[in-house]
Amino acid sequence: MRILVVEDDADAATAMVRGLTEAGHEVTHAVDGAFGLLEAQKGGYDVYVVDRMMPRLDGIGMVETLRKDGDQTPVLFLSALGEVEDRVTGLKAGADDYLVKPYAFSELIARVEALSRRRETGSVATMLKVGDLEMNLIARTVHRAGQEIDLQPREFQLLEFLMRHAGQSVTRTMLLEKVWEYHFDPQTNVIDVHISRLRAKIDKGFDKAMLQTVRGAGYRLEA
Amino acid sequence: MRLPSILRRTPFRLTLLFLALFAAAASAILGYVYVASASEARARAETAVRSELESLTGIYKERGVDALNRALVDRALNDSPYLYLLMDAEGSVITGSLNASPISDYAEGEQWITYPYTDTDPEGRVTRPQARGVQVRLASGEMLFVARSMGDTEAYLARLTQALWAAMGIVLLLGLAGGLLVSRDLERSMGRLNKVVTAVQEGDLKARAPVRNSGDELDELGLGLNVMLDRLEGSMASIRHAGDAIAHDLRSPLTRMRAKLEVALIDAEAGRIDGVDALQVALDEADTLLKTFNTVLAIARLQAAAGAGRTPDPTLFDAADLAADMAELYEPASEDKGLEFSAEIERGLMIEANRPFLAQALANIIDNAIKYTPTGGAVMLRARRRSSGEIEFSVTDTGPGVPEGDRGRVIERFVRLDNSRTEPGSGLGLSLVGAVMEAHGGRIQLDEGPGAYGGFGPGLRVALVLPPAANA
Repeated sequence: MRILVVEDDADAATAMVRGLTEAGHEVTHAVDGAFGLLEAQKGGYDVYVVDRMMPRLDGIGMVETLRKDGDQTPVLFLSALGEVEDRVTGLKAGADDYLVKPYAFSELIARVEALSRRRETGSVATMLKVGDLEMNLIARTVHRAGQEIDLQPREFQLLEFLMRHAGQSVTRTMLLEKVWEYHFDPQTNVIDVHISRLRAKIDKGFDKAMLQTVRGAGYRLEA
Repeated sequence: MRLPSILRRTPFRLTLLFLALFAAAASAILGYVYVASASEARARAETAVRSELESLTGIYKERGVDALNRALVDRALNDSPYLYLLMDAEGSVITGSLNASPISDYAEGEQWITYPYTDTDPEGRVTRPQARGVQVRLASGEMLFVARSMGDTEAYLARLTQALWAAMGIVLLLGLAGGLLVSRDLERSMGRLNKVVTAVQEGDLKARAPVRNSGDELDELGLGLNVMLDRLEGSMASIRHAGDAIAHDLRSPLTRMRAKLEVALIDAEAGRIDGVDALQVALDEADTLLKTFNTVLAIARLQAAAGAGRTPDPTLFDAADLAADMAELYEPASEDKGLEFSAEIERGLMIEANRPFLAQALANIIDNAIKYTPTGGAVMLRARRRSSGEIEFSVTDTGPGVPEGDRGRVIERFVRLDNSRTEPGSGLGLSLVGAVMEAHGGRIQLDEGPGAYGGFGPGLRVALVLPPAANA
């Protein structure tokens, strides 16, 4: 994936470029919104990772300009401002996701990868298929190797999210945000319990465990 | 040049202003009285002179100039208040109490004049009071001048003027003295307030304005100042307490992290372990620290919002949905621990609140209930509308509960009861809940739970009570 990182803090930028490169992505770094805009206009990027507060042109201004120009590349906002209204302003400006600093690296990578995938699966699919696991979005049924799996509504949503991001790490925070639609710290890892229940339903009795725990990051559904 | 301080004070300046206004008013009154009295005196003298003139011309018309002459002499000898002069056609004096006519350029008809004449007062001093007189030509060519003194009026006006000046003098003196007294009194009172302000500026938050309970504005100002200082001192104390607590609370995870890193360094150098594990531990500790910081910040923000009497980013939503989501989210974790989890949620609990913060508050109390209730116990979430219309969320558990004396304390920052220290936690969970309630105009209530339950108990019931949405 080609990623444009727009960040004025040199240390943060270095760490980010290094981490994303390690994860197998091609990363370009711009030091502020104005340079970021110039670089973005060259085209060819899959995701923009944009710091919200920068000199010259800030993240909001940069993303608004890009969206006005018709650039629909997914944007992940990074910000030290974590209040609800800040998140809302960021998303309104055209960002697709919002990550509050400081963040765990695994969280950043998971979110960046989720964003790029989102674009690919933008079309209206009625069936999701990962390995021998099949999900019918209309009938709301799930089969593995032809065997029907009975899921609770929330388990269905959870599995749908995992299937849409199959092969990628998804973090607990992402799951709480995207599946439950809550932005708060659940203290104990309540998400883990939901995952283990889902795992018991889709993996039990099958040779291959699809729902895997990624150490220090979260979970990944593997074909 | 600087004036003595008292002369620069507002009350003294006001006194001077009022005195100046008074002097101006007195002068105006004096002027008016003078003008009015003078014209009145003139009019009176004129009327008298005219009737005397008519009487004299009557004598002349009936009996001729000699009779007039006799009448004049007669009247002059009889202490008449009038001054007379009879002259021949050329102006030479025939008879009268004057040496010459004050009208030197007499032509024809009635000619009036106001002039000073020479007189002596009872003590024999020469005075020059004003007189009003008229000169006419008689049919036979002689000229007659009749005048009357306006001296009485003059004396009256002189006395009046004198009296007014004296009054003004007294008023000025008293006013000045009063102004000085009021200024001094006010300066003392203000001085006391200023002293408090200066003391506070210099860092003494315990300084308070003396209050006399007189109910005047200065007393009110003093009272207001004291209330403000009480609140300031309270929040300073709470900030200091929080600061101390944060420093204290951050020290233990920092110390722990440092120790682990040190051990890891030694082990890694000796080739005994993989550095990755140690780094992971360090990262976890750093995350804990960050969480603590974030929670403290959130509490501060909520309390600031509560202080300003508003809720941050409120939205209108059904609290029943929120409660159901929380029940659904926490039920598996609760059952995994071997707790009976149940939820009773009334429908249609519209509320205007900050959804993420309220979710966090609810999550915190459910999480606490699950954390502190031993396996085999029960946790129950309830959401309902009270008969008062308020929305109530309550979480009841069958854990050890919180002794009555500690229930107020557990909401304070970083307070962890002795029996909870073995559990992970920052001691900020309930503080955050309390702050969320405060920012929503709600409250948190801690009560005893259902009592003994399967060998545990008495349990704890935590209720969050919120006002319903205004238009729901």
